[in-house]
Amino acid sequence: MRANVWSGRNEVSVETVPDPTILNDRDAIVKISSTAICGSDLHLYDGYVPTMKRGDILGHEFMGEVVEKGKGVGNLEVGDRVVVPFPIACGNCWSCKQGLFSVCENSNPNSGMAEKMFGHSTAGIFGYSHLTGGYAGGQAEYARVPFADVGPIKVEEDFTDEQVLFLSDIFPTGWFGADLCDIEGGETIAVFGAGPVGQFAIASAILMGAERVIAIDQYDYRLQMALNKAGATDVIDFSRDADIVEQLKELTGGRGPDAVIDAVGMEAAHGHGAVHAIERAKQASRSETDRGHALRDAILACRAGGIVSVIGVYGGLMDKFPTGAFMNKGLQLRTGQAHVQKYLKPLYEHIRNGDIDPSFVVTHRLDLDQASNAYETFKHKQDECVKVVLKP
Amino acid sequence: MSSKASVTVLGSPEEVRRRWQEDGLRPDYIESHDAAVSFKAAPGDRGTEIHVDLEQTAPGGKLGEMLMKLTGKEPLAKVKDDLRRFKAQFETGEIPRSDGAPEGELAERKLKQRPAQPLKADEREKVGV
Repeated sequence: MRANVWSGRNEVSVETVPDPTILNDRDAIVKISSTAICGSDLHLYDGYVPTMKRGDILGHEFMGEVVEKGKGVGNLEVGDRVVVPFPIACGNCWSCKQGLFSVCENSNPNSGMAEKMFGHSTAGIFGYSHLTGGYAGGQAEYARVPFADVGPIKVEEDFTDEQVLFLSDIFPTGWFGADLCDIEGGETIAVFGAGPVGQFAIASAILMGAERVIAIDQYDYRLQMALNKAGATDVIDFSRDADIVEQLKELTGGRGPDAVIDAVGMEAAHGHGAVHAIERAKQASRSETDRGHALRDAILACRAGGIVSVIGVYGGLMDKFPTGAFMNKGLQLRTGQAHVQKYLKPLYEHIRNGDIDPSFVVTHRLDLDQASNAYETFKHKQDECVKVVLKP
Repeated sequence: MSSKASVTVLGSPEEVRRRWQEDGLRPDYIESHDAAVSFKAAPGDRGTEIHVDLEQTAPGGKLGEMLMKLTGKEPLAKVKDDLRRFKAQFETGEIPRSDGAPEGELAERKLKQRPAQPLKADEREKVGV
């Protein structure tokens, strides 16, 4: 089959590789109809995530048709149309039983590696380095889906791929980010990053009853999407004024947002001259993996007693964590890879009810064979790119 | 170097103890090294803690120890593999396998991962899947 593989920093290529096969009873093979490039794939592309190997098939947002299944998969039939969640979860361990699917205790066969980095292992993830299992990803014609009796959701209505594809990651991830903010109605929420996940965090916060949602980014076209499609009430364009904390104060009468969502992660683009330069140098020399402007500003901007929700991906260590602000303001820091399996059904219902049509983020549609161009376009935000869908 | 490793498995001590002896689940490395194994109920219905103490010094002294660490043959790493595999089989009924680590959790694989792409037929045969 054809598959998009990581070939080193800033390099991907579509190659011919063996077709996947069933390795365990609870596996299924999915013939992929649509697959997307995630912002977090850029962290791999840019070389910031350790334990990548040349030849790794990328991609963790995909859907398609079940073409084969192991004898332990009773809930799916060959021919079913499914969306596959990006975390691989067994459904049996204590964490899965608590709904904490992204920290499944069994799905990462490189858990020893992950324990050395993080203290404890987290779930396996498709196409996302060997630290999260070394699973082949979904930017390919076919994928093997382990624990297929737990993860995939059947699509029985007549939705287009683009309406349901993002149940695999970015819609539940945005929703999870908002869910961590304990929105009861009337809150002001700030969202750092108006990329695809940020857009869904904004839309989710509005659906949950937030009164004001402030989108923060440096690209006007993304902020326009946040205002016009996701439902943001205010925007901050930090390419015009880099002092985000002060602008958030101004927009909230000095209080600060009740909760702040970091939908940026380890490659934050803003930041003040000297600190930014030091961080780029530290990342280049591998003495720091994570640039932390977004998280630092989130902590400084959040109102006292508020919540900082981190869904942007971090991978290692960062410097200058504002412990003073974090502790003295009595903030709660809530984090994680989204527990996608927990949110699939309720979010599918939201799509079915017409509360949201997730296809609004799609700006680019390309053939899988054009993956290399697609990564470049997405990385450099060319051609007002927000979200790329690839067709195998 | 510590000689202890532990894991918590979601099941009662009776069940865990019984299945520890089952064919296909019995942890080979731990059993063959005659390590001290104890089972105790975890607090709050979290299952059963399995504690292994491998009171054994690595053959070859310090140099051997370092070599074994590099090659993933460090005894404790093997014990942890056994515990991980037992837990996964007990809880999920299978050994989770990826393309990078098709044998499942295996210390020797940590430094020699396959690329994350499907196995060829002859590789599958070698791994036995």
